[in-house]
Order: sequence, then structure tokens, then C-alpha cells
Amino acid sequence: MMKIDNSLPLEYANEQNKMNIFGFWIFIGAEVMLFATLFATYFTLEHRVGNGPAGAEIFELTPVLIETLVLLTSSFTIGLAMNAMRLGKKNAMLTFFSITLLLGLVFLGVEIYEFTHYASIGAGLQVSAFTGILLTTLGTHGAHVTVGLFWGLFIIMQVKKHGLTPKTANKSFIFSLYWHFLDIVWIFIFSFIYLKGMM
Amino acid sequence: MSELFPRKQVMGFVFSLVLTAAALTVYFLDLSFMAAMTVLLATAFVQAGVQLVGFMHVGESEDRTMIYMNIFYGVAIALFTIFGTLLILVWDM
Amino acid sequence: MDYFDRFAIPHPSPAIYASMVAIGLTMIAIVIGLTYFKKWGYLWSEWLTTVDHKRIGIMYLIAALLMLFRGGVDALMMRAQTAVPDNKLLDAQHYNEVFTTHGVVMIIFMAMPFIYALMNFVVPLQIGARDVAFPRLNALSFWLFFMGAMLFNISFVIGGSPDAGWTSYFPLAGNDFSQSVGTNYYMLSIQIAGIGTLISGINFITTIFRMRAPGMKLMKMPMFTWTTLITNAIVVFAFPVLTIALLLGTMDRLFGAHIFSMTNGGMDMLWANLFWVWGHPEVYILILPAFGIYSEVISTFSRRNLYGYKSMVASIVIISFFSFLVWMHHFYTMGQGPLSNSIFSITTMAIAIPTGIKIFNWLLTMRKGKIKFTVPMLYSVGFIPIFTIGGVTGVMLGMASADYQYHNTMFLVAHFHYTIIPGVVFAMLAGLTYWWPKMFGFMLSERIGKWAFWFIAIGTNVAFFPMFFTGLDGQARRMYTYSEATGFGPLNMLSFVGAIGLAIGFALIVYNIYYSVRYASRDIGSDPWDARTLEWATQTPVQSYNFARTPQVDSIEALWDLKRNGKPVFQGEIEKIHMPNSSGMPFIMSCIFFAWGFSLIFSMWIPAIITTIAIFACMAHRSFEKDDGHYISVEEIKATEKDWEVLNDENR
Repeated sequence: MMKIDNSLPLEYANEQNKMNIFGFWIFIGAEVMLFATLFATYFTLEHRVGNGPAGAEIFELTPVLIETLVLLTSSFTIGLAMNAMRLGKKNAMLTFFSITLLLGLVFLGVEIYEFTHYASIGAGLQVSAFTGILLTTLGTHGAHVTVGLFWGLFIIMQVKKHGLTPKTANKSFIFSLYWHFLDIVWIFIFSFIYLKGMM
Repeated sequence: MSELFPRKQVMGFVFSLVLTAAALTVYFLDLSFMAAMTVLLATAFVQAGVQLVGFMHVGESEDRTMIYMNIFYGVAIALFTIFGTLLILVWDM
Repeated sequence: MDYFDRFAIPHPSPAIYASMVAIGLTMIAIVIGLTYFKKWGYLWSEWLTTVDHKRIGIMYLIAALLMLFRGGVDALMMRAQTAVPDNKLLDAQHYNEVFTTHGVVMIIFMAMPFIYALMNFVVPLQIGARDVAFPRLNALSFWLFFMGAMLFNISFVIGGSPDAGWTSYFPLAGNDFSQSVGTNYYMLSIQIAGIGTLISGINFITTIFRMRAPGMKLMKMPMFTWTTLITNAIVVFAFPVLTIALLLGTMDRLFGAHIFSMTNGGMDMLWANLFWVWGHPEVYILILPAFGIYSEVISTFSRRNLYGYKSMVASIVIISFFSFLVWMHHFYTMGQGPLSNSIFSITTMAIAIPTGIKIFNWLLTMRKGKIKFTVPMLYSVGFIPIFTIGGVTGVMLGMASADYQYHNTMFLVAHFHYTIIPGVVFAMLAGLTYWWPKMFGFMLSERIGKWAFWFIAIGTNVAFFPMFFTGLDGQARRMYTYSEATGFGPLNMLSFVGAIGLAIGFALIVYNIYYSVRYASRDIGSDPWDARTLEWATQTPVQSYNFARTPQVDSIEALWDLKRNGKPVFQGEIEKIHMPNSSGMPFIMSCIFFAWGFSLIFSMWIPAIITTIAIFACMAHRSFEKDDGHYISVEEIKATEKDWEVLNDENR
């Protein structure tokens, strides 16, 4: 493969790795705009509920708080996984990585519960502009988490098989950026969709 | 064992929990709209900052200048888009 | 059989049946031709699976030229229909479909691939790189764009074309008023092409930031590279907005959401808002690379370095930011208050300033230069006055209060054609002629090229200048006909004549390609224009690895300094070169995307679910794939370089 620079962490060890990380940061910039557009639409349509329910009538604090704490913790554990990776501790890294994905799975489970709950109380996708954009925004974030779960699983399998190489370390690091970013997006959903809607 | 839980990250996690609790005050206390929004904006952006700097190591790579510019540019345009849209379609309609 | 009724055309006409037959015959001809000449293997291994930026650039170019003619035929049909009052050449529905597809094809499927064709071919060469940062993603970008374009183009023979205008405003584009699947085609085909464009954006930013030749600092990049960088920065931040707008439109049309509807709280104006949050930056995505091409061409053929390099860079950076702050000027009349109209009026005026700076820079570059009026230079010089008319009328339209008079009239149509034709089409033709010898190893005929230029330049003015007058007299855009009493007849006839002039110009370009393929000299060396930047410092045709030795650069015009001042650029030993492997996955994955889009358009849920899973399976395959690329050995490089280095020394 390419020239390897041993003075840097594995994930930065060669030129292609550096480009992958840099390119992913640019992608995160694009994702910022993607979610910003959803937020712009959400804020515009927030009070346009037609004959359907308003946010205050359907939001429940408990599941939302569980989702928030679970995702915050998973962001912490993927950070710990990266720390372990830099220490070269493959098993610790895999443990933290697996915990992260399990927490992501819990998050997804609660979100699926939330969606079925909304549908059952008459706040489905087709009810009003508000429910439409609410579910699309949450769904876009949820789809990102789902993709992340599969992606993370594939990376765990590769680290198990090949160990910590410049390639697997690079993939893991980029995954951690993705996961932290999803947490940031969730913070904004938590603050400006749920808390703002419930206060 | 302790090297697996570096102080910086543990503190970041604790801080993010504190920020979440602070944001929850808008639910439990009866704040005015302006005060509540100020709290939410402050906690959300500080929280994002903690993630970016503490967990995502935004400042560690040799491209940090470009990455910072990318983030600032994206956030600036995102805010212009959100507030411009609200101005056009809600506040000035 | 009811299942297949959905594929029927809602408004059949002889023209559509004729195109069905033509499409069928063309496809059969291609298949027979490839089989007869035994070219399937060649097509697959050299083109469909390539990750070489030069070949991808050429494929973009071919697609763009095809789409140019598709969109051009639409334009001719529109001008023919409105040439005389009460014309019955096209009915209202057909006319709606034609102007919609004309707009979409020209912007998304002609202009975008054209700029990406030139970026792909030129930028890695200009910065002294071996390829782009992510060659595999680059191929995926192209194939996603291509499949999006093909999906859009089959609409008019399967299920019906979109007919709500290229802006596809709701509520017209909603299910109540656009019942055919046409607008579904719009939502999904642009979505697929848009994902490809976004990937390209990330790819080029990374390429330019991380793969420049040693010594090429940011402020030493050639101007086309600068504009490519800034253009792709706009792409990265603007295209996600389009992604979401199209997603929300799809939610409304396919899943019965009420985001843009007139009932249940929906807001139709939100579509216009989101569309133009993307749409205005898109204008600058098209125009900035054009500015880069003009800078290269004017500098080369004036035999002078570019005047005001720093102010040029500053102005494109400012434009990139301002382009996100002006979107509301596309809908001043939508009903919002004077506050927002005033704010966006001011930002719109402000963005004219950096563009003005650039015009003066080009003029001052030409001052005291030894100008050679080659074809690329003619387009560049022709661009300046024609574009200025477009720019000045743009400032007129930018004044919110005055815009109530111009809005949605032919005045607007004239304005944006006066900016886009000189701003994009002229630039693309200039760039095409300028870089053609690098791409194909021979030059296009200057004589035929000049004829084509004059037909196109005069045709543009004859076709679009009358629209300023009919627009001010009240002719609305998108009207399929008008009565004789309006008095619009003669000027519209004049427009039609101009459109024919344009058509002749483009036909001449095709003839020029044919003529030059047959008769042009192949003995042109590697630098036929005596140019100034690094892309001309390679062999023609360019070696697969671009540069045997990584160039060392310390000025904006590295090649010029090499030629005139003898500053060495290529030094050091030849080392083995790492290159990416070809792959069929981008093509296969994009074919699946095509099937995915097609399934969703016709609400065929089971195939849609299967193709969605297949798309993710492709991504999983990529995750597990072992792809370390390959090396080109030193001996092989030396063999490739041998003939060329001899030639090269003789040239010096």
C-alpha cells in the first residue's frame, strides 16, 4: 500500500487516510445543510396543524429523554472506543464499539415505539403539514442511525478479522465522526422540536 | 484501566449531561418564550461544541483550518437559511 | 393488463410515437453495432468500469452534448409554436411538457455535466495530481448523473413528461393538479443526479485541498482550479437543500403528506422558498466555472498573465457566500412584506459588484495584450458585452418594486438566457475548443468554429433581444399561444429566426467535430495554443498516470515559467506510481438506482423495496471489498515517457 507515517495515529497514517477523513468532514458540512433545511421547514410548519394534533398534545418526555440519554452515552462510548484504538487496545475498542451499537439499537427501538405511538393516536404522516415534517425530520435522523448500525457492524467484523490496521482504524475513526454528528443533530431535535414543542 | 477512561472525555460526558439537565429546565420551569429559547440555544450550541472539540477532535488534523472553515461556513449558511425562511414565510407574511 | 396501464402516455401524439420508434431503433442499432464490431468488452473494460478522471470527463462531455441537442430540440419546438399567433403546432399540454423538460435538461443534465466534464478532465492535470481524491466515487458520481438523466428522458415515452415547469411549483406540481407520473419523474431523477453531484462536490474539494503539486499554494492555483474549488463548495452546501426539497415533494406526491399542499396546514410557497435556496446558488455553480474558463482563455490568447488575480479570487469567494443570501428575489411577488423584499433587493444589488470586478479584470488583461482571435477567444470576447446586457437587466429585475412589472414575463426569459447562454454555453464551447486538443489529440477547425461562433452569437441576440420588448409589452412566459391582436407576432417570429440561427451554429459544431476527426492534423505537439498552465505539460493523449514525476511549482503559470524562464518543473527520479483499480460497481449500483427511481415513480412498492436493499448491499460490498489499487512499474513509465521526452526537448 501507500507510504505509512508512523509518527501519526493509524487512522491518519497515509495520504489516502487523511483524504478520507478530510472528505468526510466536508460531507458533514453538507449534512449540516441537509438537517438545517429540515429544521427550516419544520419551524415554518410547526404551528400549521390543520385538523391534527399540535406538538404539545403528542410529545411525551419519557421516551424522548431515554433516547437522548442513550444517544449521548453512545457518543461517549464511541469516543472511548477511539481512545482505546489509539492505545492499540483492540479488545477494549471492540467492547466500546459494540456498546455503542447496542445503545444505537435501543435508541432505534424507542424511536420505532414513538412512531407507532404517533400513528395510533392520529398523528400519522398524512394528517397535517406539522406531522408530515415532524415524521420526515425524525425519520431522516432515524434512517441515518439505521445506516450507522449496519456500517458499524461491518467495521467491527473487519477489525475482528484484520486487527487494527491503517485501513480499519481509518474506517472506525470516520464512523466515530458520523456517530458524534448524529448525536449533535439529535441534541438540536431534542431542544428545538421536543422541548420547544412541550414548553 | 484508567487510561481507557481519559479525563477529558469523562468530563465532556458529564458536562453534556449537565447541559441536558439545564435544557430540561424549560420544561419544568415556567420561563418566558425568550428566556426559554435563550436557554435552549445556549445549551444546544455549547453541547455541539463539546462534541466537536472534545469527542470529534476537530482541531487535531493538519487540515484543521479548512475543517473549521467548513463547519463555520456550513453553520453560517444554515442559520441564514433557517432565519431567512422564517423571515420570508412566517414573520414578514 | 391494468397493471401496465400506468406506463401509458396520458397525451399521446404522432411526435411521441415517432420518438418511441426512434429510441427503439437507436438502442437496437447500438446493440447490433457493439456486437458486430465486437466492442462489448472494450466498452466494459475501458469505459463503463473506468475510474480515470480523464475518461469520466469525456463521458460527461458526451452526455452533455447529447442533452444539449435534446434540450435544443425542445427550444426549437417552443419557438416554432410561438412564431405566429394562434399556432396549432403543439397543444397546451405538449407545450407545458416541452418547456418543463427544456429547463430541466438544460440546467441539470446539460450545463452541470458540461462543467463537470471540464473539471474532471482539467483540474487534476492543472494541479499536478494523478487522479481525483476518490476515483471510485468519481465514477459513481458520473453514473448516478447519467442514470438520473436517462430516467428523466424516458419520461416522455413511458408515463408522460413532467409539465409543471422546471421550477415545479406547488400546488401545480401536487397530485391534485399534476395527476400523471411526470412530476414523480422530476422528483426522483433529479434526486439521483443530485446525489451524484453532491459526491462530486466533496471529491473535488478534497482533491484540490490535498492533492496539489508541491509548491502550489492556494494563491498559486490557476484560476479555473480556484473557480472549481469555490463552485464545489457551493455544491456541497446547496445540493442538500435540493435533496430535502425533492424528498419532501416525494413525500407529498407518493406518500400523501401535506407539506406543500393547500389543505391540512400545508404551505405551497415553502416549495418555492426551498427550491430557490438551492436554485440561486445553482446559478453561481454554473457561472463560476465559466469565469474560470474565460480567465484561462483570455490570459492565454492575450499573451498576458491574468490581471488582478487576488481581486479575482476575492470576488469569487464573496460571490460564493452571497449566492446563499439572495434567493428570495425569485419570488418578490409571492406576498411577503416590504421588509424581506428590501433586504433581498439589497443583497441582490450587492452581488453584482464582485461580478463587475471580474469583467474589468478581463478587460484589463486584454489591454496591451497581443490578442489572438482564436475560437475560444472569440467566445470569451463575445461573452463580455452579451453577458453585460444580461447582468444589467438582472439588476433591473433585482429591484423588488420594479419586479412586479417584469415578473414572469418574457423580459425575465430574455434576461436569464442573456446570462446563461454567454455565461455558460459560450464558456463551455470556449473550454471545449480550448481543451479539445488535450482530450483528443487534434484541434477543431478554426474556420468552421468561427462560422459556428458567429451563428451562435448573432442567433442568441436575435432570438432573445425581442423578448425584452414583448415582455415589457406584457407577453407572459409559458403561454403556449397568443392572439394576433396582442401584436406579439412579428417579434416572436424574429425570435424564431434567431433560434434557427442558434440551431445552425450548433449543427456547425457537430459538423466541425466530424470534419476535424477526418481531416485535422494529428501532429500538434502537446501544447498547441502555447498555453500557461500544467495541463499542457503532459503528453497528448495524456498518460494514464498524468505525470511521470510530480511537478514542483512556484508560480501561477508553471508551464509559462518553464517555457520562458526555464524554471524546472519536473525533477527527480521516476518512481513506481500507485493507481486505483477499475470497478464495475459504480455502474451496477447506478443501474440499480435507475430501477429504484423507476419503481418509485410508478409506485411499484415491491421492486422499490428490493432495489433499496440492493443499493445497501452494494454499499456493504464496498465496505468489505479489498481494493488496494495497483502499481505502474518504473520500466513501464520509462517506456511510455521515452518518445514524449525526446519530442519535448525538441520543442523547447
